[in-house]
Amino acid sequence: MKWINKYLFVYKTQIIRSFTYKYDVYGNIIMQTIIMITSAFFWRALYGFDISKPYGDVMVNGVRLEDMLTYIIMSSVLSVLLSTNVERRIESSVRNGSISTDMMKPLNIFGIYLSEDLGRITALIFQNILPILIIGSLFIKVPAMSDLTQLPRFCISMMLSFGINWLLAALFGMWAFTAIDVDALIQVKKHLLRLLSGSIIPLWFFPDWFANILKALPFAYIYQLPLDIYIGKSSDVEVLQMMTIQAIWLVVLGLAFFIVSKRATRKIMIQGG
Amino acid sequence: MKNAKIKCLLHTLAHYIDVTICHIRMAFLMIVEYPSNIAGWMISNPIQFILGFATIKFVVEQFGQINGWTYGQLAFLYGLSVISHALSMIFFVQGWFMGFYVVEGEFDRYLTRPLGVMYQFFFTNINIFGVTDLIPGILVFLYGCVESNFTWSIAKVICILLMLIGATFIRGGLYLCLGTTSFFTKSTMDFGQYTQEIMDKTTLYPLSMYPESMQFLLTYLIPIGWVSFYPISGLLGIDSGQTYGLLASVITLLVGLIVLAVAGLWFNYGLNKYESAGN
Repeated sequence: MKWINKYLFVYKTQIIRSFTYKYDVYGNIIMQTIIMITSAFFWRALYGFDISKPYGDVMVNGVRLEDMLTYIIMSSVLSVLLSTNVERRIESSVRNGSISTDMMKPLNIFGIYLSEDLGRITALIFQNILPILIIGSLFIKVPAMSDLTQLPRFCISMMLSFGINWLLAALFGMWAFTAIDVDALIQVKKHLLRLLSGSIIPLWFFPDWFANILKALPFAYIYQLPLDIYIGKSSDVEVLQMMTIQAIWLVVLGLAFFIVSKRATRKIMIQGG
Repeated sequence: MKNAKIKCLLHTLAHYIDVTICHIRMAFLMIVEYPSNIAGWMISNPIQFILGFATIKFVVEQFGQINGWTYGQLAFLYGLSVISHALSMIFFVQGWFMGFYVVEGEFDRYLTRPLGVMYQFFFTNINIFGVTDLIPGILVFLYGCVESNFTWSIAKVICILLMLIGATFIRGGLYLCLGTTSFFTKSTMDFGQYTQEIMDKTTLYPLSMYPESMQFLLTYLIPIGWVSFYPISGLLGIDSGQTYGLLASVITLLVGLIVLAVAGLWFNYGLNKYESAGN
């Protein structure tokens, strides 16, 4: 078990490093709060929110405004949990050559990157997620889970979605080994994820044919599924079915990751001389 | 004496124009440096706005219309808003990365050159790729013109041009204001993603859907409402609560100039407080 201590050290260092710039933390909180509150107003306006009867029973696609607001708050929380830095990390270390020192360390480079991301996210739990939850509860509504018995399922599907998300990011990042500049590709991924995962507009607002296409892609299993479970939108059967597909995607992406990383790291060796 | 002054001024202006041309040429050369990048930007920016527009279409289909704005009118709003976004991306995107320049010490380089600091800040890395945002913007705008039965006239064309210039200035000014905070905070924060999300929510949809307090804030304090909502309501003849009609475009331009001037003063003030990250 000694090898895990080494990764734990990287993890701890990253947590400490995350607390260096305190204004980043304030800035992030302010910006995310503005975005969250604007989204809440946005959906209230669409649902025709009336202050005299707060959570009216207008249903759009089987979803009440109340659930929609929970969805928004939890989506903000997830977007923090699912923020990855691995693609930028690979790009910058390939570009400035520090990848060679990373590879000389007695650790797997992707292990290092994963520990760093986990460390960053651990710091973000205190820096961002707690403030978001508090502000959201005070100004929008308390994002309570619809059915607490679903909590284990939510946690499992959260972990799977973290895996899918991280592997996707790493796969996109590995383009840097050949292309060197992957800013644009990272942007492509970011926009695809933003718009196709249900993080901003839930999938049920899309027409059926489009939603069905999206259900075949991995993006929907990053945000939509955990959030569906959280607000209790889908039936048990549906949830289990979706979680199976989620697990399959994780395995597929995991395999792709191993194959690509083997080839890509070999390639970087050649570049190094 | 006066003549000499004017001559000197013209000379400086010519020099700046020369440098600008050089910068644009370099920007093109830098684009060619990484071929995969061209392909990436060509795909990524249009994807973002075409998908964004598709989502509006889907949402409007579910809810009928948004605060009395029909689908065609929303497309019109969306298109013009994306065009001004693209223009601000070309000229003012540096404001998003100010923190990076300050913390990494890149800013010191600007201070040592015999050119205006603000000029260098915006033009040294002019972002030609912003053009890729223009294409989806123009497409959606033309589509919106057809869908909303927009009748063209010379006055309206002038209004649209004025409004676009004003909107670009407002956006640029706001980016600069946000970026300048990095002088004081030394934060590396990348405001880009957040700014864009907030701007998307407030300029791509009619402002009238938000509560009055927020409308007030976005009209007078942070004039985002003038980027798209007020001038376009004027163009389309929709009641926006402000009865300026076509005149709203002229006001947008004025607001843009004011925002840019304020941002410039704020930037210069920040520059005085700037201490290099190096020492």
